[in-house]
Amino acid sequence: MLVVEDLEVRYQELRALQGVSLRVAEGDLVALIGSNGAGKTTMLNAISGLIPAASGRISWRGNSLVGLSPDRVCMAGVVQVPEGRKLFPKMTVEENLEMGAYLPAARKHLAESRKAVFEIFPLLAEREKQLAGSLSGGEQQMVALARAIMAKPGLLLLDEPSLGLAPVIAAEIFQVIEGLNRKGITALLISQEVLHSLNIAKYGYVLENGKITIHGKAGQLLDDQRIKESYLGL
Amino acid sequence: MPSWPRSSLFAGAMIVLLALAIFPWLGAPVYFVSLLFTVFMYVCLATSWNLIGGYAGYLSFGHVAFFGIGAYTTALLVKGFHLSALETILSSVPAGFVAMLVALLVGYPCLRLRGPYFAVVTLCFAFVMDLLIKNLNFLGGPEGLWLKSMDLPIQTVRAILFEAMLGVTALSIAVAYWTDRSKFGAGLRAIREDEEVAQTMAINAPKLKMQAFALSAFFPGMAGGIYAYYLTYIHTDVVFDMMISILIVLMALFGGGGTLLGPIIGAVLLTLINEGLSTFVKAELARIIYGSLFVGVIIFLPNGIMEFFRRTQGESPH
Repeated sequence: MLVVEDLEVRYQELRALQGVSLRVAEGDLVALIGSNGAGKTTMLNAISGLIPAASGRISWRGNSLVGLSPDRVCMAGVVQVPEGRKLFPKMTVEENLEMGAYLPAARKHLAESRKAVFEIFPLLAEREKQLAGSLSGGEQQMVALARAIMAKPGLLLLDEPSLGLAPVIAAEIFQVIEGLNRKGITALLISQEVLHSLNIAKYGYVLENGKITIHGKAGQLLDDQRIKESYLGL
Repeated sequence: MPSWPRSSLFAGAMIVLLALAIFPWLGAPVYFVSLLFTVFMYVCLATSWNLIGGYAGYLSFGHVAFFGIGAYTTALLVKGFHLSALETILSSVPAGFVAMLVALLVGYPCLRLRGPYFAVVTLCFAFVMDLLIKNLNFLGGPEGLWLKSMDLPIQTVRAILFEAMLGVTALSIAVAYWTDRSKFGAGLRAIREDEEVAQTMAINAPKLKMQAFALSAFFPGMAGGIYAYYLTYIHTDVVFDMMISILIVLMALFGGGGTLLGPIIGAVLLTLINEGLSTFVKAELARIIYGSLFVGVIIFLPNGIMEFFRRTQGESPH
């Protein structure tokens, strides 16, 4: 279980996150939604160790992640899929996937992981030798997801996986994420696509100006009047 | 790069190495032995620079400092312990380690900087080392240091140092070959592409950068030690010459940074072209041709000559 308690992150004077608490139980898919600038990416980066937490606790399976460097957090099994895909564009799809399995533990299962990944994303098998930078946005997002899975993660942190994708492709990506979760992968999903993410998530949190304002079962949130008004335009 | 079976690649490399090793004993004029010595030296420098500059994308403009530190270390050891000829050549090993140690000390703060900031700070480091040594009297200060040469005919002396430099160069290429294929090299490439993402892929970027930087300083240190014995007169203007720093970078990028063969091709071509131009063409014209060559390569092959081979083979990089 991922437990975040009273997390505070500052950019100099600005308090980007103010006492945020959140839980992701083993096997769950949890959505963190909110508008631009609410602090969603800050939250993920703090969990990944890319930016320091000013105060508060972050732990995964009982071990604190606070103060760990990003590679240590990854070693602990928490793997981020960064916003905007962020592949290694001048490497081939194959090399990108291999980079995902950089850890010795993941490297041992390189062959199996590759097979598993190509089962989930059959398209990538065809694109294996192509440079990652030459793929379409949707394909790149698939590589980013596949690369993260190669690391044999305990928890996936997904940062805006549908950003900049055509609606049809975005819907496809959300289906893939739902499928991964069904296979037992625990995930924290950050998205502005409120309807999509709450449809596949079990639990949801709403982040506004660095604070959690609403949280509850995803189904309940979809019926919540405030969410309907602010995020779904109903 | 075409992927030959490992055994035939190794055999081919051994044959080339052996042929080169025999060369100075065949009675070739001293000039050619010296020319090849210089070629090896630059191949070694560019190949080791490539570990940090090419694979990891951290353009160090201060690599001449490691070369100079190696040269002065050997000189000091010779003066302090009255080393024999063989011991002097072997003292290039501790010279390499001293350069490596300095790289670790300098790398710790500097490798936090990226892009142009890292380039500038390493450039300054080389200037500071130059000034520091100029002002230390026990290192000869502005007068420089003299080393006693071997009591042998010049032909033999050159041939012996030729073998030493060939050995160091072969070693640096072997390390580069290993890096090119190892997980270490893959990690460095990932750092070059995107350091943050690399870190979220469990790559310990600070550690890997330090290792690459230290390794890339070791061989220049050794080469500097051998070069000191070759010159027998060491002066900061010679072994801390900023042109060497710039040449190393140019050679590696000219051939193709982040590839195994690129720096080798770049160093061989540029050393030979430079030598040919200064021998056969008027000095002013030679510089212009040399400069235009760079401009041409940068415009038409921005990723170096290796890119041309890749294009013709239609392969992806690496």
